[in-house]
Amino acid sequence: MLRSRRPHRSSSDSNSSSTSTSPERGIDDDNDSFTLQANDSTSSVALSISQDLSDLEMERQMAERYRLSPVSRLPAELMIAIFSKLASAGDLKSCMLVSKDWARNSVALLWHRPQTNKWQSVNTVAKSVNTTNSYFDYANLIRRLNLSTLAHEVTDGTLWPLSSCKRIERLTLTQCSSVTDQSLVRMIDGNRSLLALDVTGLYQITDRTMSTVAANCIRLQGLNVTNCKKLTDASLQEVARNCRHVKRLKFNGCSQLTDKSILTFAENCHQILEIDLHGCNLLEDDSVTALITEGPHLRELRLAHCSRITDLAFLRLPIEATYESLRILDLTDCGELQDAGVARIIAAAPRLRNLVVNKCRHLTDRAINSIIKLGKNLHYIHLGHCARITDAGVQQLVKHCNRIRYIDFACCTNLTDNSVQRLADLPKLKRIGLVKCHNITDRSLQALAMRSRESQRAVVGPSSLERVHLSYCLNLTLAGIMSLLNSCPRLTHLSLTGVQAFLREDLIVFCREAPPEFNDHQRDVFCVFSGHGVARLRNYLNADINIPGTGFDTDGTMYDDNIDDGEDDGIGDDEDGLGFVGMGLDLNAPPDIVVNIGGTPSPPSADSNTPNDQQQTPTQPVQNIVWHPAPPPPTGSWNGMGLNTFNSSGSSAGPAAIVQGASSAPPPHPAQQVIDMMGAVDMHDEEMDDAGSPRL
Amino acid sequence: MAAADSTEKPFVLIETSDGIEIRVDREVAERSVLIKNLLEDLGPEAAEQGAIPIPNVNEAVMRKVLEWCEQHKKDPPAAADDDADNRKKTTDIDEWDQKFMQVDQEMLFEIILAANYLDIKALLDVGCKTVANMIKGKSPDEIRKTFNIQNDFTPEEEDQIRRENEWAEDR
Repeated sequence: MLRSRRPHRSSSDSNSSSTSTSPERGIDDDNDSFTLQANDSTSSVALSISQDLSDLEMERQMAERYRLSPVSRLPAELMIAIFSKLASAGDLKSCMLVSKDWARNSVALLWHRPQTNKWQSVNTVAKSVNTTNSYFDYANLIRRLNLSTLAHEVTDGTLWPLSSCKRIERLTLTQCSSVTDQSLVRMIDGNRSLLALDVTGLYQITDRTMSTVAANCIRLQGLNVTNCKKLTDASLQEVARNCRHVKRLKFNGCSQLTDKSILTFAENCHQILEIDLHGCNLLEDDSVTALITEGPHLRELRLAHCSRITDLAFLRLPIEATYESLRILDLTDCGELQDAGVARIIAAAPRLRNLVVNKCRHLTDRAINSIIKLGKNLHYIHLGHCARITDAGVQQLVKHCNRIRYIDFACCTNLTDNSVQRLADLPKLKRIGLVKCHNITDRSLQALAMRSRESQRAVVGPSSLERVHLSYCLNLTLAGIMSLLNSCPRLTHLSLTGVQAFLREDLIVFCREAPPEFNDHQRDVFCVFSGHGVARLRNYLNADINIPGTGFDTDGTMYDDNIDDGEDDGIGDDEDGLGFVGMGLDLNAPPDIVVNIGGTPSPPSADSNTPNDQQQTPTQPVQNIVWHPAPPPPTGSWNGMGLNTFNSSGSSAGPAAIVQGASSAPPPHPAQQVIDMMGAVDMHDEEMDDAGSPRL
Repeated sequence: MAAADSTEKPFVLIETSDGIEIRVDREVAERSVLIKNLLEDLGPEAAEQGAIPIPNVNEAVMRKVLEWCEQHKKDPPAAADDDADNRKKTTDIDEWDQKFMQVDQEMLFEIILAANYLDIKALLDVGCKTVANMIKGKSPDEIRKTFNIQNDFTPEEEDQIRRENEWAEDR
């Protein structure tokens, strides 16, 4: 028999009987909340007049109405489908003013996510929410509230009048750092709908807020408490026990957390997809093992600066077990990690796509021999500061993992042109970082350039290279850079800080502005071309046949223009759309723009919250070194600078952490500041070691 | 019979609300998820045994809908489009569809209702976008005129709504 799936209109009479699609029914289904306050005023719609009339008369009236105004035959659900195509709040407001029917079908869309990017908007929204006898019950229509644009200006007084909105599903208060428990507890208490909460940078909030979340928000799926440093295991254990559907967790910089809370999450919340524990430096191996073994869906595990993590975290994984979901693993500065740990996690997580082992200084070519088992799965690898790896390791890597798009070898000082010549074979390579690989010469650049020419011949298309980091590769000359520029049409980022051949007035004009807080000395060597600057540099150099020779008169200032542009780290792959609004940067924006998004970059940033904690927690003496100012190395001693650092995982936490760092971190020595492409000025800790007391 | 059929494209018969039978390629008819599911439920031989009654759609509308299905029969199956994406692209209607939608309002809304009933998501989407484009940029009064809608607000009510939604402006 026929299945009448949507019997809006009865089969007997297609025209007149479509009255059964009365808009009222749809409204009751979808928008029951409207009636709470506005009952009297909304019930007097035109149709209700006809209730007393006979059915026949009513049908006649409806037919007449449809004839006069065909749109009126659409049921509420279809009117809502039409209104949902309207992106502009202004258009939706116009719809609300058309008629009562239209108002009831458009109001929920308009109030789903009210404009709160300006003070005036916030004030009028709050006013309507608190109006007694308002036309609609606006408070219960708001599903998303985002005050991150106003950020620091937002106070408890801003939130207070909005606390009657109990059906908010996403509450985004990124960097609303004046907000305290006082308003937030009131805001969250009684809200059973909350799916995602982003309180990044609300450093004043305490366990009271999180206990309220635990007691109310049983549907919670995403929680970002980055830099809420007052939070402790106690309240987060409550969250873990009550909010068992959590999928995305960001605890960056919550430095009081220990295995206690993280183990509770692992035991209770089996749907975790992503967890970022950047800088939770009290964590130990048990947490990591449990998160992997208990989280069958775990896709992204970030452990940057969890400096107590050792090989055991992975060696304790059950033999033979594999974790196919794990795609992204960030082990930045897990300094205890050794080759054996890497071997085990690679075996256990064969589908890893992004692997960051930046600053895991013990690693050698043996680790690479494990990593190559990832084969084509590997797209993104960061081996910065793994200074023990050699050309042989790179050769293996290129041979087995030819789908790599993003690679970084900052400060891998053993590497020579031989490595880069291999890397040039990677067909999909978009981004290469070779900062302070001081052995490389123009031969490397020629290899990268040649590669593209050959691939053109093979109809592979022009070079895929987009971002090239060559700061402090002091042997490079203009000629080498020109061949690179002319063979990489997609190049949008080229960093050459400290490369003497480029410190010329006529070239610097194409360079990006140095960050405002840089001192004169730093400005002198800063040299990053991005966006249109790359094209302008290319045009200028091509027009200028008189290329002077290069001389090395290097002043040893230590910056790094390094970045984590996050282009391949899967941030964009938000599978179920529950990512945090506040933590998302526009990954497609040109770097210049991204810098602006980052707000006013202040010295130390993403990475910096961790050292900051560590200074307060003297259990990490090694890290403390980074905060001791030291004089820049003497002029000409570029070789001695050696290592540099790379902020590998900071992309998602970047803007969040800047402010925190600015407000509470000790002032860095100017020479340690490093500009990060995401707009964060980074404090690069090892530089201190290298300048003052080399660790290796 | 079986041999003869195998050389032809499989077809189905559809009976409209006004009793007209329309013969249509099965591939075209299956743009409608409703019809597709029916055929699957009834089995392959059912289609040959008689027309599928579609009691909510008359012949004129059905022919129009089938014209769209014919044009789009090779389209990839509708991806699970997220509405957030669609919201931003109201005017994004391909040229053929735009022409197709140049009909009087009565037909336009009949097509939307039919697309909804027959579960043809892409056609419903085009229809909704078309109506949305008729709304965009217009004042409430212009919208009322466009669709011939009675303003049933009192001036006080209208003023109240205007006040309470003051924040909403074009971004």
